[in-house]
Amino acid sequence: MSSIMKIENLQAKIGDKQILKGLNLELEPGKVHAIMGPNGAGKSTLSKALVGHYDIEVLGGDILYKGKSIVEMEAEERALEGIFLSFQHPVEIPGVNNAYFLRTALNAKRKHEGKEELNAAEFLRLMRDHLEMLGMKSDMISRSLNEGFSGGEKKRNEILQMLILEPEVIILDEIDSGLDIDALRAVSEGINKMKDGKRTFLVITHYSRILDYIEPDYIHVLKDGRIIKTAGPELVPYLEEHGYDGIEEE
Amino acid sequence: MNLLALKNKNRQEVAELLSVKERNLLAERFVSLGLPSKKSEEYRYFDVEKLLDKEYKTLNYVPKTPKVSEKIEIVDGVVVAAPQGMRVYYESCQQIDMIHFDPIYYLGHLLSPQTIKIELDGDVEVEIEHKYTQSDTLINYRIVLYNQANRHATVYENFISEDIKDTLVLYGYDMHIAQDSTLRVVKMQNMQNNHYAMIASHKVNVAKNANAILKSFDLGGDHALQLLKVELAERAHVDAGHLLYLNTNSKRGTVSQIVHVGEHSTSKQEAKNILDGEARGIFDALIRVEHSAKFTKAEQNSKAILLHDKAYMASKPQLEIYIDELEASHGATTGQLDGKQLFYLQSRGISYVEARKMLVIAFANTLIEEVKDTRQQERIKATFEKVFYKNA
Repeated sequence: MSSIMKIENLQAKIGDKQILKGLNLELEPGKVHAIMGPNGAGKSTLSKALVGHYDIEVLGGDILYKGKSIVEMEAEERALEGIFLSFQHPVEIPGVNNAYFLRTALNAKRKHEGKEELNAAEFLRLMRDHLEMLGMKSDMISRSLNEGFSGGEKKRNEILQMLILEPEVIILDEIDSGLDIDALRAVSEGINKMKDGKRTFLVITHYSRILDYIEPDYIHVLKDGRIIKTAGPELVPYLEEHGYDGIEEE
Repeated sequence: MNLLALKNKNRQEVAELLSVKERNLLAERFVSLGLPSKKSEEYRYFDVEKLLDKEYKTLNYVPKTPKVSEKIEIVDGVVVAAPQGMRVYYESCQQIDMIHFDPIYYLGHLLSPQTIKIELDGDVEVEIEHKYTQSDTLINYRIVLYNQANRHATVYENFISEDIKDTLVLYGYDMHIAQDSTLRVVKMQNMQNNHYAMIASHKVNVAKNANAILKSFDLGGDHALQLLKVELAERAHVDAGHLLYLNTNSKRGTVSQIVHVGEHSTSKQEAKNILDGEARGIFDALIRVEHSAKFTKAEQNSKAILLHDKAYMASKPQLEIYIDELEASHGATTGQLDGKQLFYLQSRGISYVEARKMLVIAFANTLIEEVKDTRQQERIKATFEKVFYKNA
C-alpha cells in the first residue's frame, strides 16, 4: 500500500500525561479509515497531533504526509497542504463573519496553490449549492462564526468548510456527536459527496452509528495510545457485540 | 497659563487667577475637590499633572456668525459653522451639576462662562466636528445640549487636528435628554503623534422614560480621559459602550459614574479595550443606586485584550448600592487572545498574523456593529482597521 499519510511510532503528551505511546498507522489514498476505541484511548489526541494543535507535544516518532515529515509544520501550513480536521467541538468566534472567514480561508489556500483569489460574488455562487445540499439556511453564512449555532448547525458548518476547502486528508473527530437523525443524514451526505476515490478520510468515533452512513474500508482499534488491531468493516459488528475488552493486540 | 498654579489655592485666589467674577459656588466646588493629581482617585491611572504643569497660550473666544454647513464645526472652541435652521448659540450654562465628582468639570465651567448651546429639534441627526489648530495652547469650551421630548435625535462626534503639538483641550457636555425621548451620541476620536491631549468632562441628565445611548470609539495613541456622570430619572435608560484601541505609550480611557435616582431606571455599560505597545487603558466606572431608585437594573462589564506584554489595563468596575430591590451585575476580564479561536482559524489555513488581526477586529466589531447607521458604522470600522493594521 502506498500511503498518503504514514504515522510511525508516534509518542505524544498533553501536559504531563503521555497519551500516544508508539502509534503506527498508514492511510491509504482514497479510502475511509475509521478509528474506534474506548474513552481515553487517545483518539482526539491523535487528531490534534495530526493538525499541529498547540496542546500536543510530540515526544518521538514521525508523521509523514506525502512522504514529507509534518511534525515541525505549523497548523496553517498543514491546512494549506490539504489536511483538514472537523472539530468535535467547533469554537464560537463572535464578530468574525462566517462568509468572510470562509472566503479568507479559501483564498489563503488558492494563493498557496498559485490560483487567483475569488471575489465576494464568485465566492457566494460557490457557496450556494453547498448550503442547499447541507440544509443550511443562507443567513448562517452572514452570522458570526458558530456563534449561537446549535450542535447540528456547527457540524454542518464544519462540513461546509470541508466542501469549500476541498482537502485531501479529512479527519472527522466524533462528527456524529450531538446530531439528530436529519442532521446526521445531511452531514453524511456532505461527506459522501467528497468521497471521490482520491480523498482520504479518517473517521474518529466512539460508536458505529456514523459508519452506517459512511462506509469504511478499514477499522483501526486504538487502545492505550496505540493501534492494536486493523481489519475490514466486518470488525464493526464484533465490536458492537463484544466491546473493546476482547480485542487483543496483533 | 500654567494650571498647576491653581493647586492648593483658596476660592478667592482661584477666582483671581482665572479672572472670574460672581461664580463663587463653582470656584468653591473646584477648590473643595482640588486640582487633580496622581493622588486623586479619578485620575490615578492618568498622568494629569504632566498635562497641567505646562505653560499654555490662552485664546480669546469671540463668537462668530456661523456659516451654513451640513455639520456643526467647532474650531479651537468656537462654532464656525452649523446646519441651516439649527439653533446653535452662546449662553451661560443654567444647569450646572453641583455634585459632580470631577474638578475639571468645574474648572471647565469657570473657564467657559459662555457655553455653546445646541438645541436639537425633532428627529434630527447631526455631526459635530471638533477641530484644533493651535499648538501649545489651552483650548477650553463647553457645550450644552438639549433635545425635544418624544423625539429621537442622533449626534455623531468627530475630532480632527492640524499638525500641531502639545495642546491641552478641556471640554465637555451638559446634556439634557428630555422626557420620553432618545438621544444617541456616537463619538469617534483617533489621536496620534501628540498633537493634543484631552480631558473631557461630561454630565448627562436622562429624564423620565428617556434613553441615552452613548458610544465612544477611542483609537490610536496620546493622552485623553473622558469623565462621565449620568443621572437617571424614573424609567430612564442609559446604554453606554466604550471601545478603546491604544498603541504606543498612550494613556486613555473612561472614568464614569452612572447614578440611578429614579425607580425602574436601567443601565448597561460595556467597555472593550485592546491594548498594544506600552499603552495603558483606563476603565474606572461606578454605578450608584440611590435610595430612591427601587427596581433598578444595572449591568456593567469590561473586557480587555493585551496584545503586548508591556500593555496595561486598569479596570475598576464598582457598584454602590443603597437598596435591596434591584438587579445588578458587574465584571471585568483582562487577558490575551483566545488560543482556541486562534487555532481554529489557523487550522483552516489562515496565518497566525492574519488570524490575530481577525480576532482583534472581531472583538471590536461587536461594539462597532451597535452603531445603527451603516455609513457611520463603516466609517468607524474603516478607521479602526486603518489604525490597527498600521500598528499590527
